[in-house]
Amino acid sequence: MNITQTLDAKGFACPMPIVRTKKAIDTLNSGEILEVLVTDKGAINDFAAWSKAGNHTILEQKEEDGVIYFYIQKA
Amino acid sequence: MSNKVAIIASNGGLFDAYKVFNIATAAAATDKEVQIFFTFEGLNLIHKQAMHALEMPAGKEHFAQGFADANVPTIPQLVEMAQELGVKFIACQMTMDVMGLTSADFVEDIEVGGAVTFLEFAKDATPTLTF
Repeated sequence: MNITQTLDAKGFACPMPIVRTKKAIDTLNSGEILEVLVTDKGAINDFAAWSKAGNHTILEQKEEDGVIYFYIQKA
Repeated sequence: MSNKVAIIASNGGLFDAYKVFNIATAAAATDKEVQIFFTFEGLNLIHKQAMHALEMPAGKEHFAQGFADANVPTIPQLVEMAQELGVKFIACQMTMDVMGLTSADFVEDIEVGGAVTFLEFAKDATPTLTF
């Protein structure tokens, strides 16, 4: 996977992970991939809903040692 | 489907502020057009001084530690973030008159208006939320 940018939003509570992700994805071009690291458990559902609303695609997500990784392809 | 979220903020405590600004910033970050109508005690949430010292409900003060532990942003930070994301603030003219407040008492870039200003925006908003 060709990651364009990584956003470390670990330790942040809602709504910061989404707000930061929104700002980061605004700097990307269509088709580019943003990697996001979060520890907020609410993010699992929030990122699915947020991506759907913006037509972005979550290519992959995984959880390792309490950190959730999202790989989001910009619409 | 409408892309607008309309929020009425009519209470002035710390919990009220989080309810309002968390939903507002989350909506704005999801590309929604957001307006908040601040009325009565809700004006505290954008008042230059009051927003720094919003009170917790009586008996709930022990949650202060929880806020710190959860690394929740402060209300002034959320206000700034909301405005940066394009959330529009409308302060209720009537309440300001009653309380003897002017635009200078509030954060920058607010609009002052009456109920109709908000209703016109809210008529096709989904959802409209009241806090």
